Amino acid sequence: MTAVATTDEAQELGLRADEFLALARAAGADEAEVAASSARAVSLGFEKGEAKTAHVERSRALGLRVFVDRRLGFVATNQLTRASLRAAAEDAVALARSSPRDEANVLPAPAGAPLDSRVLAPSALAAALDPRLFDLGVDEVVRRASAFVADVRARDRRLSIDRASLGVRSGTFLLRASNGLALQQTDAAASASVFGMAIDGSDVGGFDARGSTTRSLVALGPVLATLGERFARTALENLGAGAGESYRGPVLLAPEALRAMLLGPLLGATSAVAVQRQRSRFAERLGQPVAAATVTVRDDPTDLGLAGACSFDREGQPAARFALVERGVLQGFLYNGYAAAVGGTRSTGHAQGAAELLPGLGVHSLVVEPGDGGDFDALVRTLGRGLVVQRFSGSVDAVSGDFSGVAKAARWVEGGVVVRSVREVLLAGNAFELLRGALTLGSEAELVNGGARIPWALVDGFSVTAG
Amino acid sequence: MSSTTARVDAPTGAASDPRPLLAEALDRFTGEHVELRYHRKRTRTVAVERGRVDQARANERTGVGVRVLADGALGFATTTSLDAASLRAALDEATLAARASSAAGVPRRSPPPATELAVGRFEASGVDEVASRPLGEAVELALRLEARARAASVRVTSATCAYNEILEEKGIVTSDGASAWTRLVRPELRLGAIASADGALQRGARSIGATGSWECLFRGASAEALVDGVARMAVDLLGAGFPEAGRRKVLLSPALVGLLAHEAIGHTVEADFVRSGSCAAGKLGQRVASELVHLCDAGASPYQDHASGLLHVDDQGVATTEVEIIRAGVLMSYLHDRESAAHFGVAPTGNGRAWEFDDEPLIRMRNTFVRPGATPLAEIIAGIQDGLMLDGASNGQADANGEFMFGTLQAWPIRNGKVGPLQRGVNISGLAFDVLSTVDAVSSDFSWELGAGYCGKGQPAKVDAGGPWLACTMLVGSRA
Repeated sequence: MTAVATTDEAQELGLRADEFLALARAAGADEAEVAASSARAVSLGFEKGEAKTAHVERSRALGLRVFVDRRLGFVATNQLTRASLRAAAEDAVALARSSPRDEANVLPAPAGAPLDSRVLAPSALAAALDPRLFDLGVDEVVRRASAFVADVRARDRRLSIDRASLGVRSGTFLLRASNGLALQQTDAAASASVFGMAIDGSDVGGFDARGSTTRSLVALGPVLATLGERFARTALENLGAGAGESYRGPVLLAPEALRAMLLGPLLGATSAVAVQRQRSRFAERLGQPVAAATVTVRDDPTDLGLAGACSFDREGQPAARFALVERGVLQGFLYNGYAAAVGGTRSTGHAQGAAELLPGLGVHSLVVEPGDGGDFDALVRTLGRGLVVQRFSGSVDAVSGDFSGVAKAARWVEGGVVVRSVREVLLAGNAFELLRGALTLGSEAELVNGGARIPWALVDGFSVTAG
Repeated sequence: MSSTTARVDAPTGAASDPRPLLAEALDRFTGEHVELRYHRKRTRTVAVERGRVDQARANERTGVGVRVLADGALGFATTTSLDAASLRAALDEATLAARASSAAGVPRRSPPPATELAVGRFEASGVDEVASRPLGEAVELALRLEARARAASVRVTSATCAYNEILEEKGIVTSDGASAWTRLVRPELRLGAIASADGALQRGARSIGATGSWECLFRGASAEALVDGVARMAVDLLGAGFPEAGRRKVLLSPALVGLLAHEAIGHTVEADFVRSGSCAAGKLGQRVASELVHLCDAGASPYQDHASGLLHVDDQGVATTEVEIIRAGVLMSYLHDRESAAHFGVAPTGNGRAWEFDDEPLIRMRNTFVRPGATPLAEIIAGIQDGLMLDGASNGQADANGEFMFGTLQAWPIRNGKVGPLQRGVNISGLAFDVLSTVDAVSSDFSWELGAGYCGKGQPAKVDAGGPWLACTMLVGSRA
């Protein structure tokens, strides 16, 4: 597929979206919105360290949301014939007629305000794309993928790659609505992942899984090198794990572990829907401290280095930089169109989701501002004695904030240095309580799976139980 | 063959047989092996929270996945256009991809060895009944149950009810003789309630699922009984304390036994994972558990009908079998697709599964379970001097080395054979085979409990798991 073909595909997709919209109105919809996507993906997957299957795939999907007398119906299909679209449109209207009336079931008004500096212009996103990603051939993807896995395997004979992949994906997302909304965005990226462990005789280390994404073919080489190096280092260090120690106190969290245990509940509590439905701890806390003064959290869809970069959200509202928590103080709640209608306010541009799903609610690109805790070695020195957790496998209740689970790729620290790997260590605590306690952030944010920037964090108050 | 799955010889209903279209495309294939898989998946969903309908939707994804072996390499392509020309184009594209891999020097593969492959039409019960039911009935059900949860107590501040059904039709044709057409439907219901007191929030939850009709879905308990239990759980958890952490005697419910069977054992015996060095590698024929433990994975639904992972034919055209993974504590078998079966020199077990048409089949579980024993539950409880009775699986994950972690929803202390008041915040962990070696009691009960569950392994899979109550020793995590 070439860039020209992509344009043709986008035009074809736009025609089908317009047709779907018209069919919905003809079927009886008062208001209708069509989200459409098309994509081309080329990839090579690996199993047990060996190349398995080269994939070449094209996909299209149309999602239709209708309101009939303020009743909701939604359908999605990948069958784009006129007969299929007509049947789907009639299904959507029938679904709406069987749903109860809700005054908040309205389309958000198209954003009329001019784009400001907090919003990524569609032209800026388009300009950032590497045109070579649109027509990278399967032979080139196979070559780069094979080189990536060979590089990882060459790092140490004890590494066992269970699965890996490298691929490129390009596509178009567009919106059409009965209120005149017409927006389109094109994106292209290369992604890689690796999942496996190290094995040394009868010692099978815990697995490590990581991935990354880039919009630049030039940057792909360094991205893959970093991915391979971190996978190899973590998997090898997981070998020889022994028993940990039980204690109550501070734990040093890797960015991924911080996101899983503490940031998940924080984001859940900033959802306006959660507030409206009385399942948010932050309901009455706007403008008040909800975290330590070291914590600043924002959404930054203008960051082109993150996978979630975009100009507009799932409902066509501008996707702007947005402060959630500033120096520990809650700055605002996330709204999509529905939550805004319920709350009598404006959407903050946080409608989320694929074309084939109803608009959800969430951040585009999570960014946690670095602190003054220094690099990893400095944080370990500050910890002195205790646990380092790189990954968390467990349950996190976003409502209560209670979490419990196993520390993965965990290390034990004595005298301010990492001394050994540990396994079978359980962590428990409450995210909201730990966020309010002593919390030191590292001085540099790391890219987490291509989608967020988060620093390491030294957090006090964990309950640690060793086996 | 399960009583819930019937093989029928003639098509009925509105569905049309996709196999002739697939066979036509197959005629011009010149490579070593090809699988053509038509897959129509229609999902209908209703979700309600605090009286508001958040979801009332129907999704359809239909297409054909084409996997070919050409020049010793695999290629995969898809089409969503269901005509002969589009299928041939996809076949050509998959062949080109395979040849590109071959030219790049990837290790050469052989076609799968000959094996008995499924031919015919296979249909689970309830497909037409669920497909013809207006979604408005699910909207009404969800609104009624959600309202009932909120009305159960003044402390219940919010409740949710979500209904989902997946209707699947597949046609699987391979160049070495598989020709199967399958239909099934899997309804699910998820209930949740949030209770509040003094600024604290607690959640009660219960999910059920089945393969079959709505009657099958509610075979264990009525919708009203389920939602009343969820509301009660949320309220009761507000006053629940935390148990003592450490290595303790536990009595696991069928839901947690199912989770143990799936996460802690099942994944480690998936043959692709075994080949990557899981803790089950090299242990066939060795004792890995107490002799009380018999653990299986089946496409059928033994002991109780309509399990959610019911599957008659896998996505490589292999009829599913019941695999005895552990017999009397001894590891007997791994789970296989055609490729891994060839590697280990055994027959495929029908575990090659794909989530949608554009997914490649992977080795996945179906219904994974521990066989019931002979001891009544009350007798097991009476014999425990100091332990914890645990129920409700909130989540679960396991590692290649067999280390697992499960979150639980409810815990009750057992002292001197008596069950104490509700506690919360418990997670359990251990090394799978070590924990199974401590099993000293298996109850005579049995139920499928993970019917609303999905397994994740790069792509989702609808699975079920269950078993009896089971007493063993493992690490308990808690905030106490």
